[in-house]
Amino acid sequence: MPHEIALADALVPGILLIYAGCLLVLWVVDTIVGRYGLYRYVWHPSLFRVAVFFVLFGAAGLLLYT
Amino acid sequence: MSAVPSPLPILRRVPWLGEFLTTERQAWIFVFKCLLAFYIAAWLSMLFQLEQPSTTMITVSIVMHPHSGMVLAKSFYRAIGTCAGSLCGVLLMAAFPQERELFLLSLSLWVGLCAGGAVLYRNFMSYGFVLAGYTAAIVALPAISHPNAVFDSAMLRVSEVLLGIIVAGLISDVVLPERLRQLLRRSARELYVHFMGFASGSLGGAIPRKQMEQAHLHFVRASVQLEDLRASVIFEDPEARARSSRMQLLNVRFMAAATSFQSLHHLINRLQRNNHPNTAGALIRLYAPVGQALQPPLADPARPRLVASRLEACEPTLQPLAAKLRDELRQDPELLLEFDSGAALLYRFVSELRDFTALEATLRETQGVLGGTVERVDFKRANDFAAPLIAVVRTFLTMLTLSVFWIKTSWPYGPNAMLLATIFSGLLATSPAPLASTANTWIGYAIGMTACYVVVFWLMPGSDGFLMFILVTAPLLSIGPYLTTRNTTLPGIGAGYTLGFVYILALKNPMVYSPEHFFNDAIASLFGLMMSGAAFMVIPTVIGTQWLRQRQLVQLRRQVSIAATAPLQGLVYRFESGNRDLFHQIVQFTKADSLEQRSLLAWALAVHDSGRALIELRQDMQHAELPPPLLDTMQRAVESLGRLYDAPDRTRWQEADRAVDHAITLTRQTLPQARASCQPALAHLLQLRTALRDDESAIAPYIVKATETVHAP
Repeated sequence: MPHEIALADALVPGILLIYAGCLLVLWVVDTIVGRYGLYRYVWHPSLFRVAVFFVLFGAAGLLLYT
Repeated sequence: MSAVPSPLPILRRVPWLGEFLTTERQAWIFVFKCLLAFYIAAWLSMLFQLEQPSTTMITVSIVMHPHSGMVLAKSFYRAIGTCAGSLCGVLLMAAFPQERELFLLSLSLWVGLCAGGAVLYRNFMSYGFVLAGYTAAIVALPAISHPNAVFDSAMLRVSEVLLGIIVAGLISDVVLPERLRQLLRRSARELYVHFMGFASGSLGGAIPRKQMEQAHLHFVRASVQLEDLRASVIFEDPEARARSSRMQLLNVRFMAAATSFQSLHHLINRLQRNNHPNTAGALIRLYAPVGQALQPPLADPARPRLVASRLEACEPTLQPLAAKLRDELRQDPELLLEFDSGAALLYRFVSELRDFTALEATLRETQGVLGGTVERVDFKRANDFAAPLIAVVRTFLTMLTLSVFWIKTSWPYGPNAMLLATIFSGLLATSPAPLASTANTWIGYAIGMTACYVVVFWLMPGSDGFLMFILVTAPLLSIGPYLTTRNTTLPGIGAGYTLGFVYILALKNPMVYSPEHFFNDAIASLFGLMMSGAAFMVIPTVIGTQWLRQRQLVQLRRQVSIAATAPLQGLVYRFESGNRDLFHQIVQFTKADSLEQRSLLAWALAVHDSGRALIELRQDMQHAELPPPLLDTMQRAVESLGRLYDAPDRTRWQEADRAVDHAITLTRQTLPQARASCQPALAHLLQLRTALRDDESAIAPYIVKATETVHAP
């Protein structure tokens, strides 16, 4: 994964795209979990959501920029 | 995590103390969250070496709101608005790099359009528009003398604003969240209990007109608020998002049932007034089993399912009962027809009520996913374009005046004044009393800046490090969020204080102390705020004025002609929700129980009643195999009614009355040959006629007496 990507001749950090991608994944996960009511088994849903995002983003960032 | 107040003995002895402590607790939680968001935002933007941590803090101060759903919803639209605004700023700069006049002209136009958008979309979406204008201004204005820097400036401002949005959203969602969802559930249940109580309590049949109007007002408010809440809660809660379309369906079913109920009651009331107590009594007796099925309307969770099954059980018994009651009546064909139309209304009401309670029960019993798909319905918003247009013109002129002033005087702090005017002309445009709001915000802003003066020039020079920064700013900064929670008694002061404080603090890393910049900036921002207030004096707001109410009343009446002409697909829902939204806007600023409000209510009820009957009639006309001449007559009746509500007067009333009467006569003549197709149409025609001849409705002044003329055969 390159560190900077040219989007319409503007250099954008690659991590920003990963960030956006992770937001998308989080949104999908969130919708599925919400649809099946699984948040009932979670103590603090919004904290859980934030934690899931950190795990996703951290994992993706660390894996792609070793 | 949740701090449940323990029942101390002192709380039992002093009851107001408990209440006081609860509200204080909520207020201080909010203050704590705000401060946390401020400092995390400032710390992060310093860590990321952004140029102006103050932009992040200003963003946080605009976004923070005591309810978390609102923050997320605002953040979403704010992010979109920010991106759009910065894009526009860069484009404008690229288009007019050398032409300051043209640049300022088009920037003013953009800001004006954004303010108009903020007025047009009255809910949390309006923030997106405010931000689109604000970001364009903060991106482009500082870069005006060196256009090459605009791209870097745009990137930094967008990063700062988005950082502020994210931090504010996260803090309010994660730390001690105050859930809108509970509020939504509570208000949905209250609405249910209230409506059931109302429907079953009116067993006697006679609700005074005044009480009916008040109930209508209450239900309309409840429907619109429920829709507003629902639209916010889906940002907060994925479970609510999965149930969102059903919540909407529940709301429209409720609206449909409420309208049918009102029509039924008007019919019974009219019959009683016109000395037909027997017919009215028969209808009331027909209603009795329904009323029994609804009792007792307790807020028991198992109740909606029980009520739904009782209603289902009661539905088939109604037809035989109606036949029996019909036989007992005096065999006057005119009265029998009235009875039939009342019975048809009753069936419609019961089936709608059953759908409503069944859905309510399903929503209460299940959690998470609900099997199957549901009909997609939309809550249609009825918007008027006059108020947004005036906001556009006003903001455009404000910005233009400031630009000209800036260019002519070459005042170095002109951009700062313009920036503040941009923010506040968007934020205040939706207010019904913008002058008072501006005055309040101005005072709050001035106090906030004074407090900040003490902090910046007395406390901060002696401090060192981020911890010391928190210690010296927190005590005076926390006043702002605290005042925001007192928004009912001191509207606008808290927001002004917070914004003034963080704006003039102008946090930088390393901090710059420059008193002359402080005072110049303070004067410029107060001047900008004053200019946006002055613009409201020159071009006063139309929101909440008599003129706009009259305009909206015309629009409300036009709903009937929409009901008469628009394509039928999904028309009932569009009609019901558009009606309510419009009506809600109209009565929002009238005094309770005033003559004006009563007349508006009367119009709303008349529009509701006739419009709904028109739609039902048109549906009958589509489905049934009616003979073509009859269909033509009905169509003429529908059109004449639409015309009457467009511009009511006596001749049009006469026309409509004649057309409806003619259609009734013809339908009755064909009734023996085609009973199945004519019966429902006839019922709705009769309903239209009773609505037309109701001498207590809003149409009453146009009624021409002595209509006992011989009608066309």
